[in-house]
Formats: sequence, C-alpha cells, structure tokens
Amino acid sequence: MSPKVKEFFNEAGEIAQFAGRFFREVMLPPYEIKEAIRQSYRIGYLSLPLVGITAFIIGLVLTLQSRPTLVEFGAEAWLPSMVGISIIREIGPVIIALICAGKIGSSIGAELGSMKVTEQIDAMEVGGTNPFKYIVVTRIVSTTLMIPILIFIGDAIALYGGFLAVKINTSVSATLFFHQVFNSLTFSDAIPAIIKSYFFGFAIGLIGCYKGYNSKKGTEGVGRSANSAVVIASLLVFIIDLMAVQITQFLGFL
Amino acid sequence: MSSEYGEPIIEITHLEKSFGDNQVLTDFNLTIRRGENVVVLGKSGCGKSVLIKCIVGLLNYQGGSIKVFGKEIAELNQHALDELRARIGFVFQSSALYDSMTVRENLEFSLRRHGKHKTKEEVKMLVEEMLTNVGLLHAIDLMPSELSGGMRKRIGLARSLVLKPEIVLYDEPTTGLDPITAKEISNLMLLMQQKYNTSSIIISHDMHCAQLTANRLTVMIDGINYAQGTFNELSSMTDPKVHAFFETI
Repeated sequence: MSPKVKEFFNEAGEIAQFAGRFFREVMLPPYEIKEAIRQSYRIGYLSLPLVGITAFIIGLVLTLQSRPTLVEFGAEAWLPSMVGISIIREIGPVIIALICAGKIGSSIGAELGSMKVTEQIDAMEVGGTNPFKYIVVTRIVSTTLMIPILIFIGDAIALYGGFLAVKINTSVSATLFFHQVFNSLTFSDAIPAIIKSYFFGFAIGLIGCYKGYNSKKGTEGVGRSANSAVVIASLLVFIIDLMAVQITQFLGFL
Repeated sequence: MSSEYGEPIIEITHLEKSFGDNQVLTDFNLTIRRGENVVVLGKSGCGKSVLIKCIVGLLNYQGGSIKVFGKEIAELNQHALDELRARIGFVFQSSALYDSMTVRENLEFSLRRHGKHKTKEEVKMLVEEMLTNVGLLHAIDLMPSELSGGMRKRIGLARSLVLKPEIVLYDEPTTGLDPITAKEISNLMLLMQQKYNTSSIIISHDMHCAQLTANRLTVMIDGINYAQGTFNELSSMTDPKVHAFFETI
C-alpha cells in the first residue's frame, strides 16, 4: 500500500474516532449551552448576509438562464415549477452548504488551529475545562443546527430571486408564481433535502473542528488546517449529496 | 536545604518521555518542597517544557513517576486531575490568553469553573485584586490583541494566580521580552511568590530571571537532572556544560 493511500485511511480513521468522541461527549454533562448559543449566533446569524446574497443571485440567474430554453419548447408556464423543484431539492442545499463549507469550515479550522498553536487549548485544559466539549462539541452542534436553517432561509430567498427574474419578462403575480411553485412541490421533495442539510452541517462542523484541533505547530499549520477543512468539507458535501440521492431513489422518493 | 522548606509537593522519579524515536527525558529526578522555587535550566528543545506539561497531565509519560501532593498523575481520572489542576497555576510561554475573551473574561473563565461556590461579587473582587497585583487594572476590558507582549505576560500571570494555586509552573516567562520588561516580570514573579506563598518550577534560560527568582537551580542536559544547587554553587562549578549557562552573565 502506498504511503499516500495509507495516510488517507489513517486520516479517515482519525476523523471517525473524532466523530465518535463527539457523540460520547455531547451526551455527557456539563452542557456548554451558553457557548453553543454564542457559536450558533456566529455561525448562523453572521452567515446570513452571504447566504442571502448568494441564494438571491442563484435564484435569479437560474431562472434567467432556464427561461429561453423553456420558451423555445413552449413550456414557459413550467418555469416556476422547474425553478422551485431545482432549488428545494438540490441547488439550494448544495450551493449553500458549499458556501458554508468555505465560510464556516475555514473559520473554524483557522480559529481552532490558531488556538492550538498559541496553547489556548492547553490553557483551557489546565484551567479545568474540557476543551473538546467547550470548543468542538459546541461548534459541531451549532453547525448541525444552523446550516439547515440557513438553507431554509436561502431557499426562500432564491425562490424570491426566481420570482423577480420571471417578473422582469412577464407580468405574472407573486401569488401565481408561488402557487405554481408550491403546487409542484411535495413532501418527498422537501424532506430528503431537509435531512441531508443536517448531515451537511454536521460534516462541515466536524471537519473544521478536526482539522483545527489537530493543527500542527506553526502559522503554516493554521493556514493548512483552514484550507484542508474547506477542501474536505466541500468534498464531503458532494459525497453526502450523492448518497442522499441514492437513498432517496432506493426509498422511492424520486 | 530541605529543612528550610516544607514537605515535598512534587516528586519526580526516573521520568521517561519520548516522542517516537526521540527520547526527550531519560531518567529525570526532581523534588520540590513547599515554599521552594526551582528554576530548570536547559538548552532549547531539551525537554524543559515537556517536563512541566507532564506534571499537569497535558502529556503522558512512558516511564517513571510524577507525584503531585502525593498523587500519581498517571493514575488520576479526569475529575481528580481537574481538582488537582485547580491547585496548580500554569503560565504559558505564549501567555495563551483566550483571543475571543476580554481580559476580565480570561480571568473569570477558570474561576467560574473551579470556584462555583463564589458569588458574582467575589469573582469580580478576585479578578480586580489579581489585575491590581500585576498593575493592569486599567486593561480589564481590553481584548488580548490590544495588549503588548509584556502586558500579555502579566495577564497570563494574573490568570494563573486567580485560583490562588499552591504551585505555579512558569514556561519561559521572560522569553521574547526586552531586558527591562523581562526584569519587571521576574520581579513580579518574586513578589507573587512571596505574597501568595507559592512554590514554583520556572523553565527558563534567562539567567537574570533565574538569579532573581530561584532558591535552587537544576540543569537539564540529555534528559537528566545533570546538576543542581543554588545559583552561586552552580555558577562556581567548573564543569563546562554547566559553566556554559553562566557565561552569558
């Protein structure tokens, strides 16, 4: 086995152990609720502007780009349904998760990496606080809870962007547009998307924390932690999405 | 020497610590008595910081024994280790102040966890007392990023003393500071040792700091306790390895 392959499996094993430790520690008191709320504010509320702007542009562009093709086939009336299903099922969750992997994953990776390098994690441990619980558990819980909410809000903003794009060319009312969107959507579109968004949030938090917490000494290590947190978290988003599609299909939701 | 001080509070015997193939501590022995302040001298990378991290259980050791207040560190469970750590202050080389917290919150952090019986007013008074001790009460609401290197060291010292520990471990407290600030920090350490009657292990290669703060010095070479004695005893030794440390004065 080549050293790189061995290294890959080693790291995969370490991430699994890290995740196992998270599930053990999250159950046991004391619960760092105050810190979890503070992290949720940072991870959720402070990411809203970026998620909102990106989602709005995605909805707008998706609608503008799709319209000419549908017009060519005389299927312009299907535009709200197509945009709605695309955004709710796939584009909204995946794009917003990728944006969060970039913004939140890198920020957690760099923050924890810097804490490790400057001995803040050791100081916390010597000070009688379990750093894993205080730093890692709170952040993973926050990303797992906040990213689905960001995706939900992002989806709503993207649909509004889609409506504005339709409005530019036609005189369709908001009521008609959203009526068509929600008429074409079923629970089997929304529920798998909601479930997978929790997994996206968990993966982003887990990888950001793992990379930062295990950052090697030095400022170069901090940069590497942030960078690899984004790369691996983004990759995991796609892998989870692929698995979600397979499972959804297997369960007969598609 | 032992009659001047109290009972042994840290007993290190035949300590061994390695990182992979790199054997850092081979057979290290050291006893610290109550009220005693010992400086551990050694070249960079010789394992001085590793030694004090083993004492507080931040690093595991492969062989030998470390007893703090009579308890074997390697045998303690997490709860017992946390209780023991409340009696030990640790001043980190980089100060290790929590970046996301103000100076006040940095000091309150350990108090809130270890001193749960304390009221808000008591916590506030303790924090202000410690900051007054280090002359930085005016910096109470500043963030660590707004502090100079010397101020960070002082706050690090105040934070380690806020729980009124019986032992303080200093990891290169004067490294990276100009000579004047380094002397101020050394004087402050001495003052705190006297005021709170702490025992300490000071990791350093700053001989001025060693001269000022130590009752006893120990020279770590090749992972063992190569020589020990008072400052005057060691400075008059002819052994070239020991003498090399005193040439800089």
